[in-house]
Amino acid sequence: MSDVEKLLELSEIKKSFGAVRALKGVSFELKAGEVHALLGENGAGKSTLIKVITGAHAPDSGTLTVAGQAVAALTPSKAQEWGIACIYQQPALFPDLSVSENIGLRLKKSAAFAKVDWGKQREVAAKLLERIGAEISPDAEVASLSMPEQQLVEIACALGSGARIVIMDEPTASLTQKEQHLLYAVVRDLRDSGVGVVYISHRLEEIFALADRVTVLRDGESVGTHPVGSLTEAQMIQLMVGREVSAIYPPAESAPGDVVLEMQSVSCAASGIADVSLTVRAGEILGMAGLVGAGRTELARILFGITPASSGSIRLEGKTISIGNPQDAIAQGIAYVPEDRRKHGVILDLPIAHNITMAIHRRIFPQHFLLKQAEQNLAVEMIRDLGIKAFGPEAPGGSLSGGNQQKVSVARWLATKPRLLILDEPTQGVDVGAKSEIHKIIRRLAKDGLAVLMISSDLPEVLGMSDRVAVMRGGRLVAMVDGKKAEAASIMAAALGHSHSDSEKGQEGTR
Amino acid sequence: MSQPTNQPKWTALLAKHETVLLAVILVEILLFQNLGRNFLAESNVSNIFRHSVEIGLLALVMTPVILTGGIDLSLGSMMGLCAVVFGLLVKQYDVSPWLAAVAAISLGAFGGMGNAFLITRMNLPPLIVTLGTFSLFRGLAEALTKGSEAYSGFPQGFLNLGNANVLGLPAQLWVFFLVTLLVWLLVHRTVWGRSLQAIGFAPQGARYAGISVERNTGMAYILAGAIAGLAAVILVARLGEARANVGIGYELLAITAVVLGGTSIFGGSGSISGTLLGYVAIAILNNGLSRITAHQIFDQPVSSVARELSGMLTGLLLLLALAAGVLLKSLATRRARRQSLVTTTNPTPST
Repeated sequence: MSDVEKLLELSEIKKSFGAVRALKGVSFELKAGEVHALLGENGAGKSTLIKVITGAHAPDSGTLTVAGQAVAALTPSKAQEWGIACIYQQPALFPDLSVSENIGLRLKKSAAFAKVDWGKQREVAAKLLERIGAEISPDAEVASLSMPEQQLVEIACALGSGARIVIMDEPTASLTQKEQHLLYAVVRDLRDSGVGVVYISHRLEEIFALADRVTVLRDGESVGTHPVGSLTEAQMIQLMVGREVSAIYPPAESAPGDVVLEMQSVSCAASGIADVSLTVRAGEILGMAGLVGAGRTELARILFGITPASSGSIRLEGKTISIGNPQDAIAQGIAYVPEDRRKHGVILDLPIAHNITMAIHRRIFPQHFLLKQAEQNLAVEMIRDLGIKAFGPEAPGGSLSGGNQQKVSVARWLATKPRLLILDEPTQGVDVGAKSEIHKIIRRLAKDGLAVLMISSDLPEVLGMSDRVAVMRGGRLVAMVDGKKAEAASIMAAALGHSHSDSEKGQEGTR
Repeated sequence: MSQPTNQPKWTALLAKHETVLLAVILVEILLFQNLGRNFLAESNVSNIFRHSVEIGLLALVMTPVILTGGIDLSLGSMMGLCAVVFGLLVKQYDVSPWLAAVAAISLGAFGGMGNAFLITRMNLPPLIVTLGTFSLFRGLAEALTKGSEAYSGFPQGFLNLGNANVLGLPAQLWVFFLVTLLVWLLVHRTVWGRSLQAIGFAPQGARYAGISVERNTGMAYILAGAIAGLAAVILVARLGEARANVGIGYELLAITAVVLGGTSIFGGSGSISGTLLGYVAIAILNNGLSRITAHQIFDQPVSSVARELSGMLTGLLLLLALAAGVLLKSLATRRARRQSLVTTTNPTPST
């Protein structure tokens, strides 16, 4: 690839925000027709680097060369002219407009009152969608599209604007396995047509599947660019964290005890859960696999009382309980670390200490009056126990990195001293270091006798952590596998439904 | 998210907002002392608060409502309804004024419960619900008095609540102090106040933490209604008569005081001390303007325009204080950035 055109070259880029040196000298290059992965823990400087490339941040020093020409002051609109496009994790489309309107808006800068040529706009959109193999009607309203479909629309926009450099920031974070493969195919097509793709992901297997080269960032410095084939997974992690990570998943240390949770034919018409029966024992981690939308989060919401069950029975430590709202669930010793950490898990504007005591107001403040000292003590203890990196208990949740926010969310629920802990995507969007710390915490909790129900779309995580694996599809439980015997292929097959799996049950009525 | 030290800066910022308000109050005092007649005379200082304590009461209980991200436009109308029912009970049914006062406060709480039900159980927007009850409560008050009737001739013991002094201060001011203490404790020292804050910042987040959004939010409207009933009783005691048209527009002045005091209209952050200062600034402005009758502006006697002027200046004050708040905030962040550039010895872990 030596005389392939260099689309983008950055050297010794430095950027500080006040006292924080986000980039301390990053060099990076992108060739035409390659997928170049950018890897690093949260806070390693990936986002800042992208913002430099897209012109959102001006670097303090260093040079930026686009297509062989040195670019001095890059702005977002100039970056667009240079053919640089960025596709973010959360598509930035107008939900109430149609696909073709969204694409049309992105492509041309017309005068405010210019007449819109609807026919042509639609035609252009249809062509672009066809080119990336997306089966999306240009007339569909964006709000009616799924997340991956919206991402495809974003890609169509990038292509339509003639982008030669496409940056993808964790594009698969919210996609199911099947959708991921669809996206991979589009990325490969882009690459084959000579586009350079900068690909950011926390999922190593994805980088192996897709990227040609990988540049690793650590603490604002680029620590090396390597052909993907020349590195093992362990080596990559070591480059990222700069330290030896012995085992990715801590081993199980405990034998499961008594049954804590027993669900019998639980259904909920409102959330589409039908006839789910399962048990979770003390000291056991029950992994819950399935595609996004298979009903796993909905099941958790039933157990936590957000959408109560419409039929069936739920027993906790042998006692039948009814859970009508989250307060009931908490009173019964059920804790739920939700999937959407920023919206449900942590209140970003409030201090860590307030967040940690939020679910135990009645227990820690029995007279209804706040006891600041007790609150501080608990927060300090949790910060120490879970290794939360923060300035102190008074730091607002929003000032923490994703992994540390997640630990605060976990801390809030540990403070309730639960019997059953439900974790919903506990390590989504969390960097590798924090991920393994969270895994260790989960293991420790199970060892201490907590029953853990862990929902995860990260298959290696499910396989690595679970004592048993439950698989859901279409609101039903379709398989229950022993953790030691579980294999990625058979779990995926059960989740997808077109399987040879004989452990499957309840096929009839699956929507 | 590059704020190095968060807690001290937050309090510093809050303190700054309150400093601005203190400065505004000081300027008002100096201005009216020079322009007005006997502005700082003991009798007038008493008057400032005697004549506005109802607005202060509404502002106090409007604060928790706004903290939840809500609003209550019905409080002024609620005062009208409670005043009329109070008058009716005392004059038509010979109920003792103190018992009738309890009834008026209960009626206020009951009305607040209606607001709370519609907002938290029916999931209707607070602005619409209280806009509806704003008309409803006033309409009921007018219907009860057939539009024009007024009740007067209350016993002197009761009228003292509005006109006498206790320990050198207007009697109703002591009630105000008690309510201030109560609301301050509730908002800043109890689980309830903490829950309101969480609800204001992120209602779904609060729900997922097991906080009952319905109950806690509903309580704010019930408290607001009850204190509106109390404010109605105090107003009747001062005026000596109960009419359907008392308290018109008081809810807007209360909201102005709360927002002036630095409480975010979007909910979450705010303080009772800020609300108090906001209320004092408005109270002084209104009283001071009515005192400059001796002077002339543009050769016109001011007394005739004091009312219009006070409305205009209250609005200006609110907008200026908000603008000053934004300005100070941006100055503070700029200074913080400059400071952190100087002291680069302690880099922060998160970006």
